[in-house]
Amino acid sequence: MSESIVSIRNLATHYPITGGWFGPTPVVRALDNIDLEIKRGQFFGLVGESGSGKTTLGRAILKAAPISAGKIIFHDGKKEFDINTLAKQDVLAFRRQAQLIFQDPYAALSPRMTVRDIIAEPLEVMKLTNSKVETNQRVREIASECRLDVEHLRRFPHAFSGGQRQRISIARALVANPSFMVADECVAALDVSIQADILNLLKSLQQQRGLTFLFISHDLSVVAHVCDVVAVMYLGRLVEMAPTRKLFAKQRHPYTAALLSAIPSLDLDHHHMAIKLEGEIPSPITPPSGCRFHTRCAYAQDRCKMEIPQWRKLDDDHSVACHFADELDL
Amino acid sequence: MGRPLISVRDLTIQFNTDEGTVTAVERVSFDIAPGEVMGLVGESGSGKSVTAKALMRLNAPNSFYGPDSRIILSLDDREIDVLALKSPSDLKIIRGGAVSMVFQEPMASFAPALTIGSQMAEALMIHLKVSKREAKTVAIDMLTRVGVSGASSRFDQYVVELSGGMRQRAMIAMALSTKPKLLIADEPTTALDVTIQAQVLELMQDLVEEFHMAILFITHDLGVIAQTADHIAVMYLGQLMETGTTRSVIHQPRHPYTRGLLNAIPKLDELDAPLVAVSGDIPSPLERPAGCVFHTRCSEVIKGRCATVEPEIKLVGQDHDVACFAVELADEERTEKAAP
Repeated sequence: MSESIVSIRNLATHYPITGGWFGPTPVVRALDNIDLEIKRGQFFGLVGESGSGKTTLGRAILKAAPISAGKIIFHDGKKEFDINTLAKQDVLAFRRQAQLIFQDPYAALSPRMTVRDIIAEPLEVMKLTNSKVETNQRVREIASECRLDVEHLRRFPHAFSGGQRQRISIARALVANPSFMVADECVAALDVSIQADILNLLKSLQQQRGLTFLFISHDLSVVAHVCDVVAVMYLGRLVEMAPTRKLFAKQRHPYTAALLSAIPSLDLDHHHMAIKLEGEIPSPITPPSGCRFHTRCAYAQDRCKMEIPQWRKLDDDHSVACHFADELDL
Repeated sequence: MGRPLISVRDLTIQFNTDEGTVTAVERVSFDIAPGEVMGLVGESGSGKSVTAKALMRLNAPNSFYGPDSRIILSLDDREIDVLALKSPSDLKIIRGGAVSMVFQEPMASFAPALTIGSQMAEALMIHLKVSKREAKTVAIDMLTRVGVSGASSRFDQYVVELSGGMRQRAMIAMALSTKPKLLIADEPTTALDVTIQAQVLELMQDLVEEFHMAILFITHDLGVIAQTADHIAVMYLGQLMETGTTRSVIHQPRHPYTRGLLNAIPKLDELDAPLVAVSGDIPSPLERPAGCVFHTRCSEVIKGRCATVEPEIKLVGQDHDVACFAVELADEERTEKAAP
């Protein structure tokens, strides 16, 4: 049994933009040179600003975004799936193993279906149960695991608050008993007061069921609390990856350090806005040459404009893509 | 402290709906001094946006105000009774004149078919009674001031051509171009990335100093306003739970709800601390709990009291008010011990 549930080698996703009449068709370079491994049972965090490609990466793993180059291998412990060349009969088996929790719990649930029907739908579509009794039994089990009352199952989504809706979405993703879940900004639309509730639920699912999570978020403070490993993306490339504690103790890429210092602090006597990022993330159609971060980097030098930094290991579990990672004191 | 810029007293706002009368805001009172930043904090459904909209009289036609509700806006030369304003020309002063607003979603706040510039100029021509050419100069100045690069070319662009951060800056520029005395910012950074949020928050702090304007800053995240606000008011289900200086509310939060909100924020320097949510969900405003509105989610309920009697908001320290029986009880016990 392989230790990695997802292995990605040199992945690229490019979207051609139609409508260009002259010259070559412009291309959105959503992902380039992605190399990473997600270990079984891990809570893997993926962070970056909007436009960094984190959602595209999550979708590529779920076979919901095109793969222009490279390879994604999904291994659920029994069977290996090559996402590029997934045979038709394997697609269903793969979809059962890998599920997605969406960002907006208000848009993700059909207003015309009862909570019971929403949660039962995957079972019915994939024909995973033999009778309606069995389906209902399964729905009730999952609902109670996600702390929904049996009472709630007969109601429609409009009757629920954001936090409750997100629990319904999680129950639906969980009902087919997957081994891997992509949670794409699943607490971004929630109030801070109930965000913790959803995070604790996901964490307990990881611990009790051995589920593997790819947790996509723009919020480093949330990621710091739930994830085992964090990868930071910028404009379609990985810039840094390390175990959470290691990364938060010492950042080796200026972008990670800048993201961290932008988090609003409750500490009234200490403004730690050490590094301020000017401007915004550039367009992925014409990404900057060399290191894509050089236009906003306070430490950029001539070399950064010319040469793309290699994605390299600083030690056995800390990777970075910066020419000066060894010299900078962040 | 001198005369407050805006004084809200016993503000009660109700809505007539198909399902009955909904009380969105109940007996809310607060003052904002000139040049002060006031943070209004609460979950969705706590009534913070409805309160803010009342200051500009933007609530829907099915809303009505309680008989004792007063909102007084004090300008240099006169006092305006906001709730008594009737004609559209009288309302102009609180709608873009002395009071201006920045919304959460800048995409929804600009008309998509008109250029940014024409919308800014329109506001200026109405409120400052200037010519089109003068309006354009002021608008471009303002865009430059808030950090929109290439302001003169942005003037002729449409909102879809701008990125999220630029849209929010343009929104702020438009709101500030008439030099309002009070800016209402309703979750102005919630839709932005943390890096852009940091830029916008810093910009707002600079503008307060430069224009000496007051801000009513609405948010669900105490972390966002801790560095920005002078005073904080915590709202729950339409009522004020706790108000005070930012320092006292953040460092010595008294109300169980405020403490819950603070505990729920993931903190980077305490990675081992478990995340604690405020238990349960905010009840529907149609089913407002009796007694203290927070008692259904409170961990410090006093039996036979909180579920039946409504606590009043009372002074607990210098410039610090709390509406909670548990806090009252704790303070009484402390004074009894001190005086044998």
